[in-house]
Amino acid sequence: MPMRWSAFRTFVLLLGALALSPSAAADPLAPANDAPAPNTRRWDKRVHLKYKFWKRLKPTHAKLQYAGGMGMFAAGAGWDYGKRCQWETDFLLGFLPKRYAGENARFTFTVKQNYIPWSISIDEHWAVEPFYCGLYMTTITGEEFWKREPGKYPNKYYNFSTKIRPYIFIGQRFGFSPSHDLLRNVSAYYEVSTCELYIVSKATNRSLRMKDILRFSFGIKVQLFRE
Amino acid sequence: MNIRHPSSSLPPLCCCLAAFLLAGCDMIEYHPYDLNIDGETGINAKNIRLIESALAGRKEISFAVISDTQRWYDETEDEVEAVNARHDIDFVIHTGDLSDFGLKLEFEKQRDILNRLDVPYVCLLGNHDCLATGEDVFRRVFGESNFSFTAGNVHFVCLNTNALEYNYTTAVPDFNFLNSTLDNFPPQAEKTVVAMHAGPFSEQFNNNVADFFQESITRFPALQFCVYGHGHNVAVDDFFDDGTIYYECASAKKRTFLHFTINDNGYAYEVVSF
Repeated sequence: MPMRWSAFRTFVLLLGALALSPSAAADPLAPANDAPAPNTRRWDKRVHLKYKFWKRLKPTHAKLQYAGGMGMFAAGAGWDYGKRCQWETDFLLGFLPKRYAGENARFTFTVKQNYIPWSISIDEHWAVEPFYCGLYMTTITGEEFWKREPGKYPNKYYNFSTKIRPYIFIGQRFGFSPSHDLLRNVSAYYEVSTCELYIVSKATNRSLRMKDILRFSFGIKVQLFRE
Repeated sequence: MNIRHPSSSLPPLCCCLAAFLLAGCDMIEYHPYDLNIDGETGINAKNIRLIESALAGRKEISFAVISDTQRWYDETEDEVEAVNARHDIDFVIHTGDLSDFGLKLEFEKQRDILNRLDVPYVCLLGNHDCLATGEDVFRRVFGESNFSFTAGNVHFVCLNTNALEYNYTTAVPDFNFLNSTLDNFPPQAEKTVVAMHAGPFSEQFNNNVADFFQESITRFPALQFCVYGHGHNVAVDDFFDDGTIYYECASAKKRTFLHFTINDNGYAYEVVSF
């Protein structure tokens, strides 16, 4: 029977708007040429590529992720921005092998927004990002999934989408900067995530444990190129 | 002679091994609708064997009907406890909608709760269970969407009636299945009970063939009654005015289930609250 979760959808949309709004404002404020004042980045040694003009379209990093509801593996590129590179937006293409997908292998597409407030450098090579968070929306190929209910159903019969899943996550990253011309930085990360359908399930059932709705994912982020 | 160094294939091997080990952990998930099922599968086949062997030769059977437990995990737990608290129930029939969204997690969690029943149970496919890859997960965890079994001297015919989910392009209800079940009606069975998720004249049912459906099921020997779910309330109807009573079982949220006893004197039912 139809279920009501429009309130929850509003909540997710609000969360998304909150996460995205400062990012739009952050870019024009970011200094194009001047390095940030050294005292504000004493521990934070993240590298900003500071591309100018059309070069800003070039992705600043690539990512490979294992699990997390976007297929077995997902890979893609993204952009970091903001004064301290505290924002990252990624576009990931995922693959779900036939063995786990049924008749055919499936592909996923994910847009991921990360907020990485802190980076703490340990020495000239190593840095830790002790906490970051964000959200992503993932979609999957396949006729059995629909974005909107097919017309055969009475209006608002199921009232959700089987194709598009919004996720929220928190994570930690450990980075290594080898001071190499080609390879600027490699970070390994893990995340704990959950999707909106798991949250609504947990909300009304004490018998569902956090373990039932939380999922681990792992990945690496690579910053290539040096101009 | 060119000897390949064994360590050259080691890193990818380690990666594959790590991926394989992690895939076994239920907190690693490739997709909420993937088919990487954690835990027991083939529930219906296993439990049908238990029911058939435990009740063989019996002339009196007693069973509970539960239904529509989707996203009511707490209520389903209480329902399982309520069934376990009674000692007069031989087995349980779940008339479908174990999941709300068709998610793999929902089938696994419902199975884990229902596995705490002291008696064997079987599950039917509900319309929510058909969403996305739900039917594939259902088939693996529970079994086929049309099946039958014999408890004592009663044959239970369990049918997929969620025609709307298939755009009416698949044989739902499957008359070939009904015919072959009738042709192979077990000799030890004398009576019939038909179970389904969506009852006739609901929006899921293929109502164009409702009368023909009724004709087909009334050909079965000594049809006692039909049980179904989907409507989330208790209801008792003689839909076709031919004396075949359809009993609708309420959802878990309503905190009631149906209890039937069939013996040589006929049958009795009660609505049990918990």
